[in-house]
Amino acid sequence: MTRQLITLIVNGDRYQVPVAPHETLLDVIRDQVALTGTKRGCTSGACGVCTVQGEDGRAVLSCLALAIEWDNRPVTTIEGVAGEDELHPVQKAFLEYGAVQCGACTPGLIMTAKALLDENPDPDEEAINEALAGALCRCTGHIKVKIAVREAIKAMVADAAAEDSHGV
Amino acid sequence: MASRKADLAVVGRDQPRLDGAHKLTGRSLFTDDVVLPGMLHAKIVRSPHARARILSIDTSAALALPGVKAVITHADAPKLYVGIEQPLFRQEIVNYIGDEVAAVAALDEATAAEAAALIKVEYEPLPALFTIQDATRPDAFLIHAKAKGNIAWQQAQDLGDVEQGFAGSAHVRTDTYTTNASHNCYAEFHVAIADWSLPDKLSMYTPTQTAILFQKSLAGALRLSDGQVRIMNLNTGGGFTGRTSVRPHHDVAAVLSRKTGRPVKVRATADEEFIACRAGGEVKYTFRTGVSDTGQIKAFEADITFDTGAYVESQMIVLTLTSSYIHSLYKIEASRYSGRLVHTNNIPYYFHHGGGLAQMAFGLGQHMDALARELGMDPIDFHLQNGVTKGHTSMTGTFFGSCGLAECIRKTAKQAGWKRKYGKLPPLKGIGIGVGAMASGAKGVFKHDTSAAFIKIVDDGSMSLFVGLPDMGQSSHTAMAMIAAEVLGAQATDITVISGDTDIVPLDVGALIQRGTFNTGNAVKAAALDARKQLEVLAAARLGVKPSQLVFRDRQVYPKGQPDKAIPLKKIVYDTLHSREGRFVMGRGFYNSPKESGTMAYSFGAQIAEVTIDPDTGFVTVDRIVASHDVGRAINPRIVEGQIDGQVFSGLSQVLYEQTLLENGQVMNPSRLDYRLPRSYEMPKVEHIIVESIDPFGPFGAKEVGEGPIVCTLPAVANAVANALGEPVNEMPITPWKILQILGRRAKARAGS
Ligand code: FES
Ligand code: FES
Repeated sequence: MTRQLITLIVNGDRYQVPVAPHETLLDVIRDQVALTGTKRGCTSGACGVCTVQGEDGRAVLSCLALAIEWDNRPVTTIEGVAGEDELHPVQKAFLEYGAVQCGACTPGLIMTAKALLDENPDPDEEAINEALAGALCRCTGHIKVKIAVREAIKAMVADAAAEDSHGV
Repeated sequence: MASRKADLAVVGRDQPRLDGAHKLTGRSLFTDDVVLPGMLHAKIVRSPHARARILSIDTSAALALPGVKAVITHADAPKLYVGIEQPLFRQEIVNYIGDEVAAVAALDEATAAEAAALIKVEYEPLPALFTIQDATRPDAFLIHAKAKGNIAWQQAQDLGDVEQGFAGSAHVRTDTYTTNASHNCYAEFHVAIADWSLPDKLSMYTPTQTAILFQKSLAGALRLSDGQVRIMNLNTGGGFTGRTSVRPHHDVAAVLSRKTGRPVKVRATADEEFIACRAGGEVKYTFRTGVSDTGQIKAFEADITFDTGAYVESQMIVLTLTSSYIHSLYKIEASRYSGRLVHTNNIPYYFHHGGGLAQMAFGLGQHMDALARELGMDPIDFHLQNGVTKGHTSMTGTFFGSCGLAECIRKTAKQAGWKRKYGKLPPLKGIGIGVGAMASGAKGVFKHDTSAAFIKIVDDGSMSLFVGLPDMGQSSHTAMAMIAAEVLGAQATDITVISGDTDIVPLDVGALIQRGTFNTGNAVKAAALDARKQLEVLAAARLGVKPSQLVFRDRQVYPKGQPDKAIPLKKIVYDTLHSREGRFVMGRGFYNSPKESGTMAYSFGAQIAEVTIDPDTGFVTVDRIVASHDVGRAINPRIVEGQIDGQVFSGLSQVLYEQTLLENGQVMNPSRLDYRLPRSYEMPKVEHIIVESIDPFGPFGAKEVGEGPIVCTLPAVANAVANALGEPVNEMPITPWKILQILGRRAKARAGS
């Protein structure tokens, strides 16, 4: 099978990878870039565990994206979410409010929530519901997940306000 | 003596899970993330027929495909059985759509899939049996010659004088219920990586709730000794009672690895998850209860028939569980049980979340509710009158050393506003209660059901706790660290929990039937006490007091009442080792319930659900759940809430949504788009009330919360629907279609009158 060399930009790092036309972004991120935080579930767009962020910050189901179309386009995966020595506010809230159980769905949920908040820092209930609808979680019943998302929003709004008042 | 809350420094406080940051940053390893050198990928060839004779298998084209390393069929593993009656590959007759016929290992998954498609199997289709009714007809053919009448297994039990109990009853009520086939929908799919490249050691990575049962059953099937099998369970992406025994794919990976001399990975595809791994089959229940005119239960009878599908493996446990359930909930003096597993040509039955009990509770809870209504009694009063209490010993020999059932019922009713609402809601709005009990610390897998633990403390004060109990998400490892930290005066974050490798960790029967916190928790407590004893020698001498007067708390050691004299725990550890004796601190402990079999304790609960029915769509919205659970002691309260949430979700999902649709043995909805679970926006508000009855035998009084809440959710929601509709729906799931049929029938009757 002919493979084409592409440059994948994952969490700011550039990787030259040979990809076959049928290979998905998920396959390449996991098998070639060797970042396995992005989980493989149904591989058919039905569960959300493979969610990453594309260049515009939008949530992308990496199991449905063909890798070959991602030449030179930046991708953010779960490994690129936390700061150097601090978790992202969404991750912090998930930890503190008990929204992680088995963890198999967790990377997908974090990416989904982060994508939502990057686009809309103060989403209403309906927007949260819509964003999370495609991310399945069998363990938590989604209850603490929603609490964590709301708490993360509060924390991020408070952080932004604090930064503003410092005049930076 | 049970400790008071104020005496506890760690237990009873919210502790974020210790592996949380790893899971949140993508650093947690699951089996699917593991790549071993030279690893091959396997695919399984499955029967497309529900029952057929295999005429020929031609593997030549598959073997000729470049990249294919091995193909195996029955000839490669003629004596290999999964469980008791399922040969790894069929030789002659296939028994369900999905039955294993062959498997192939290749350099990559795509090649393996291509090769699997090249294996030509010729079949002669045969008639098949798809329902309990058909399979139990006197003239039905036998699916397995040994199972006469297609009854794979049966169990009957008579306790007390049942006839007299019914004869002396003022009212007797009989109801029948059905629950349908279902699936667990784990976030992590079924997967195994076997490395059997050296003949005397098989290593297997796989998610499991019980590494030891996997080890024993693989060793037995493959003719190895237990020590020659090493199970590595990394993170397990959900258990739900379904990951408690070896499945065909585990053996397939092992046999292919043996044959190729390379590690082999098998991972279920999205549809294989549904086709090869059913988590519950059709079950038919008949309940008959006799009561006095004041509502006292006099006699109870249950008759339960399970469609166990093509094979039984360890499903017979469900008969034992359901046979004694009633005695853990109500005080009953006469009961009869008859249960059976019936073979059909459907997918083999395994466990769905709630282990057969939650599904039974769907009917049982509705039956008791209906009985109370018939007597003109409030169901709350009925449960309070008949429910077990502390100090009671049941007919099955269980002693209830703690029992918060009545407290749960009262608190839930109060918070939900039951008295204000029950019987007073407008049409199509309903309220219902579900009560339940669940074993904590059950015994019966082996003669012992031991859990063991080691702890080592190194000279910087950091500790490693070794346990065999897996963490499938229930946060058991964090709870174990908290228990050890409490005993040693440390913080949970000082402790690294080491688990998931049978070559390293001590024995543990595993995380099943709600036994982890109770059994492993007691073992961890014993190990920590053992380590503490070793530290007390030096601490007592330094502080000039007896060891019994020492307090270990907040990383300090001091004489009782004199925190100003505290010596840092770290220093005590350091000096214990760095002495002429060089004493290295290592604690060990184990726990095996002193009972012959059965359970040391039960957790209890009550939930009240409120629902609204949409008359146009038949859709049931659950508006609110108030959940009250007696967990003995909440080791980690927020995590306890999370356990309740997850089970409320799973319970209401089972009652209202979930069904594996089978047509002539074929799964019609083998995808997560078509097999519906509630989405996040469909979840109600869940209010938690944690009741702490402080069990005399549990670690710090703890019992369990891992599986108890779900047995309350199913009846609570079902009863709320019955309350809203004015009549019960006796078949699960209660789909919008069933409700529309009822509403339509009524509309017709009205129009006709
Ligand atoms: S893996 Fe399920 S949506 Fe991508
Ligand atoms: S935490 Fe297990 S599926 Fe979401």
